[in-house]
Amino acid sequence: MQSLRRPQTFKRFASITQDPLLTLALVLVVLFVAITIVFPLLSMIGEGFSPKGLPLFQRYLSDPVHLSIVTNTLVMGALVGLFGTAVGFLFAFVQVRLNVPFKRFMHIVALIPVISPPFAVATAVIVLFGRSGSISRGIFGVRYDIYGLDGLTLVMSLSFFTVAYLNLSGMMRALDPALDEAATNLGANKWRIFRTVTLPMLLPGIASSFLLLFVEAVADLGNPLVLGGNYEVLSTRIYITVIGLYDTTGAAVLSLILLVPSLTVFIVQRYWISRTSVVSVTGKPSGTPQMMNHPLVRWPLFGLTIAICLLILLIYGTIIHGAFIRVPGVRYDFTLEHFDFVLNGIGAQAMQDTTLLSILATPLAGLIGMVIAYLVVRKTFAGRSLLDFSTMLGIAVPGTVIGIGYVLSFNHPTTLTLPVLGEVTLLPQLTGGRGLLGGALAIIVVFIIRSVPAALRSGTAALSQIDPAIEEASISLGADNARTFRRITLPLIRPAFLAGLIYAFARSMTTISAVVFLTTPQTKIMTQQILNEVEHGRYGNAFAYCVVLIVIVMVAISIMYVTVGSTTGAERRLEGGL
Amino acid sequence: MKRVVLILAFAFLALTLMPVLAQESTLTVLCTPQEDWCVAMTQAFEEQTGIDTNYVRLSSGESLARIRAAKDNPEFSVWWGGPADAFIAAKGEGLLDQYESPNAEAITPEYKDPDHYWTGVYVGALGFCSNLDVLEELGVEPPTSWDDLLAPELQGFVAMAHPATSGTAFTTFWTIVTLKADAMEAAEAGSGYDEEGAPTEDAVNAAFEYFAALNNNILQYTRSGSAPGTLAGQGEIGVAIIFSHDCVKLQQEGFEGILTTTFPEEGTGYEIGGMGIIANGPEPEAARLWYDWALTAAAQEIGPTVNSLQLPTNPDAAISELAVNLSEIKVVNYNFVAAGTNRTAIVERFDAEIASAPTE
Amino acid sequence: MSQNNPEIRLKLENITKEFPDRGGSGTVKAVNNISLDICAGEFLTLLGPSGCGKTTTLRLIAGFESPTTGRILLDNQDVTPQPPNKRDMALVFQNYALFPHMSVFDNIAYGLQTQRVKRQDIQRRVNEALLMMGLQGLGDRRPNQLSGGQQQRVALARSLVVEPRILLFDEPLSNLDAKLRVQMRGEIHRLQRRLRITSVYVTHDQIEAMALSDRIVVMNAGKIEQIGTPSDIYHRPATRFVADFIGRANFVDVTVLSESAAGVEVEIFKRRITVASSVRRDGAPLVAMLRSESLTLRHDPALPQVLVEQTMFLGSEVEYIVNTGSQQLVVVEQDPRGVHVVAEGETIGLDFVPEAVHLLPA
Repeated sequence: MQSLRRPQTFKRFASITQDPLLTLALVLVVLFVAITIVFPLLSMIGEGFSPKGLPLFQRYLSDPVHLSIVTNTLVMGALVGLFGTAVGFLFAFVQVRLNVPFKRFMHIVALIPVISPPFAVATAVIVLFGRSGSISRGIFGVRYDIYGLDGLTLVMSLSFFTVAYLNLSGMMRALDPALDEAATNLGANKWRIFRTVTLPMLLPGIASSFLLLFVEAVADLGNPLVLGGNYEVLSTRIYITVIGLYDTTGAAVLSLILLVPSLTVFIVQRYWISRTSVVSVTGKPSGTPQMMNHPLVRWPLFGLTIAICLLILLIYGTIIHGAFIRVPGVRYDFTLEHFDFVLNGIGAQAMQDTTLLSILATPLAGLIGMVIAYLVVRKTFAGRSLLDFSTMLGIAVPGTVIGIGYVLSFNHPTTLTLPVLGEVTLLPQLTGGRGLLGGALAIIVVFIIRSVPAALRSGTAALSQIDPAIEEASISLGADNARTFRRITLPLIRPAFLAGLIYAFARSMTTISAVVFLTTPQTKIMTQQILNEVEHGRYGNAFAYCVVLIVIVMVAISIMYVTVGSTTGAERRLEGGL
Repeated sequence: MKRVVLILAFAFLALTLMPVLAQESTLTVLCTPQEDWCVAMTQAFEEQTGIDTNYVRLSSGESLARIRAAKDNPEFSVWWGGPADAFIAAKGEGLLDQYESPNAEAITPEYKDPDHYWTGVYVGALGFCSNLDVLEELGVEPPTSWDDLLAPELQGFVAMAHPATSGTAFTTFWTIVTLKADAMEAAEAGSGYDEEGAPTEDAVNAAFEYFAALNNNILQYTRSGSAPGTLAGQGEIGVAIIFSHDCVKLQQEGFEGILTTTFPEEGTGYEIGGMGIIANGPEPEAARLWYDWALTAAAQEIGPTVNSLQLPTNPDAAISELAVNLSEIKVVNYNFVAAGTNRTAIVERFDAEIASAPTE
Repeated sequence: MSQNNPEIRLKLENITKEFPDRGGSGTVKAVNNISLDICAGEFLTLLGPSGCGKTTTLRLIAGFESPTTGRILLDNQDVTPQPPNKRDMALVFQNYALFPHMSVFDNIAYGLQTQRVKRQDIQRRVNEALLMMGLQGLGDRRPNQLSGGQQQRVALARSLVVEPRILLFDEPLSNLDAKLRVQMRGEIHRLQRRLRITSVYVTHDQIEAMALSDRIVVMNAGKIEQIGTPSDIYHRPATRFVADFIGRANFVDVTVLSESAAGVEVEIFKRRITVASSVRRDGAPLVAMLRSESLTLRHDPALPQVLVEQTMFLGSEVEYIVNTGSQQLVVVEQDPRGVHVVAEGETIGLDFVPEAVHLLPA
């Protein structure tokens, strides 16, 4: 395969303004991003730096209670980053470099946490390892206090490591085995190769996984809420500040404090680490990776991985088992009353609403992601990287922060006072029960902006693998940009599109932090209901919700595979060479 | 072609289902008690009046924040349930409308606002919710006094909610303040209460001393008021300080024979579940209908059917045999107004001095 | 040029294209004030080293870039502001750019579908194209199931089938291996001569350029060095750059003895010859260009003696690097019998074909 990247200068063609449709698409996505991502953030920053907010900054940053919360947040983020990356690395290494059985099984288990409803893992861990846990107390007879940093680190590492695993296994596969061969040729043994060649090459990937997990951990609300105990972090503090102290300004200030580490880490990850990467993921490996076959390396690592797999299965098994028993961890008689509650009772509306809103949000998120990816990768226009960055903010900014921003921005109609026309309503009220469509629109929009970044990333990656000449060929044969996008680009990035859709749907169904402040009488969200049940100790109902949620996500993924196309499609052809 | 069909199907789905979401219900109730009670209440009201009724369940703090945020264009008509101090705060901020319901006359004056901004719909007493198995293992009897909670055997086996997030926990705190004030007042008149009948600074300090001592035994301060009861039920702790009706509810829902409710001899605090009409809210007529209805004996007998065993404020309403009758236990003379005024200061001090302090 | 009254199909007028500098501050002129006429039915090649601006020029013609200044006229119509899909030109790409998710048939039909040609006509024309390119029976294949040469043929068929006013080629053969390249070169040549479709062809391969072109445009650093027939370009390069870029050239300093209508009389390798040259001397020094194949080595003491420094056997010919004492020269000798190889270190006489001497400004 020839080098697919032409010099930068040849990428641009037909100035973007030449095509009205392209201009329209650009204007639309820019407006969308500006209104749904940038504007709420600015409102929140405005509130934080308002005369009401400024003194709070000073108070929070000098008061030992709040300082310890900030420290807690950072320590937790770092630990989760560390352990999550370690687990991800272990799984990737075993997958790519070890010659052991059950690899397929380990791969599938590693993917399970992608569709974990919030609270599910944390609650299951309490049932298993809490002070009266069936394992800690039941088997080992210890009253272990799982609440706090240790429990959080365990649960979050297990919930988030998939990202690190996929990231690192991709990199390990892309590592040119010729390097290993060269090192072997020069007389290095395998351990030395691992230390001096493999590890340094993977370092950017490791660092970037660490940072991604850090961002994810400090933004998480569900787990600290359930498992935090007295270990308080910023996200729970923000939640409390709104729901306990009735103080949106304080919440905005805390959000800004949380925003600093999240955004810093995000920017470092995105613009520094990704640049220093030495592994070319697009290159065709010139051989098969060399396997580590030393039994003292192979079997301990294998055992550890299998142990983690079993732990994950145990946790998910507990969730499923717990949904069918009277009181998880206490009374084990079989019952279907939890499912009755979720499917026929109070929970039914939340289930329907959440599914419907996710179904509406998913294709939009996928499409918007692909269009932005197309514009950013293929077209030149002023503010291109700004558009990319602003879109990415949708996920880089913690969900609670987005939620507060929405409440601050859209709880009233957005108006503009013009000199002649007087007051003009730009946007109707979006959030709250009086908001447009009973607040459902705001929730759909939040689902979309939380999912678009992933679609954008996978779209960008897919597009940069496709020779721009293929699109130019289409144009040269008389097709316009729209037809080219539809007939050529979209089919070629279909796997990325599918990945974007799956992610969007799973994310929408399981998100809590961003929508917790946006539910309305008309629109109920499943995760919020799960939180309710967990807080009231009805674990059975919570587990039943989780099981139903997992089933819905799985069914949706299968449907998407069928309608959008499986992995036997275009990308195979693409891989086969152009 | 397949794609066109898909797009059309999607558009069709969106068009047919959006109106369902957008449906404007006639009456929107902001409901703070447990979800199943909210459902039972709204369904009963709908059946009785034919008015389309919807609810959203939010904790009292979140409720107040939401009402405040949507002050200019309220989304709710009436707010039902939740601790009275939130209603006192809302009244103070002008978020509630005055309404003198004919049915409110039957309610004892101490359970309603003298200015008719809110009326109590239920009452509940604080109690100790203990896990019998755990206490047996620890060799401790279920506590019957606030001081029993300080027993060294219970170290790490007591839980309560955090006053910042939970009305329950704040009620607990203020109960201790009241008890300390009573004791000081008994020892020396004027030392426990000031001229306006509010507990003195010294009484508050004494309460903080108690909670500092209790902190050694606390496993964690939960966010939700009823969560300690679950911890007790799961055997994570031995004693939870929660509303007794929450403990009874847990017993009804799977923890029978595991949990038991006891009360402190010195006296315990109680909450009044309030109800108020949102100022300038939509559908004021329907809101008043709800208000009147919710005060009737029939409406107040709905709670027990869903295991919500708070006591009715309407003296004609039947009391479930499972419920804890306030007349059978000793309750403190709870000053709701003083509690409301001191809340913020106490919560912040609690946060700084107690909750963040390391346990020994 | 074959036609007497050539109809101008494409006209470039003072085209300049600037790109932002890598540093970001300044601009780089990739194409610097180029004017060019291309006649209907002509096969014109843009030839030059990489970075000379030939590909940019092609992309300007195709419309994938818009010129900073200047105009592009297609059949006397200004197409400068028109997007590439409206220009009625088809581009054949270096790596074919076949649509990997479509069959060969669909690839070829793509442009016709875009033009909303009727279904039966598409069927017929695609089948004709398949036949013409020797691809019959491969219509259902996917591009990745084809060999490189077949892929290139599909790419060609896809561009030809839409019957564009101009066919553009962007180094189409550079991805093929040497043997296939020669074969495809022949096919393109045959096809173009048959269809007489106006073509602009970009390559850095001089052999390809000479084999295919009616005219060659040699470019360097964004400017045109010379436009001419392959023979002009090879034998009578206008500049030292062109002479050096194409073929193997030796530059020898000459002493100008006299100038007359018949030409310039110079002394070269101790021999006086008169060279018919259009180069106006005007007092400036001149240099003689001698192609390597016009030099020969012979054992003859009367000739100037040179030292053979390196001998490379190339199969059909032998390449020598010889030293005259003042400079190195490259000499290529045909050696069909494989006996006449001069060893390294030998001293031998140097002879040359006087008619092959071409004078250039030094």
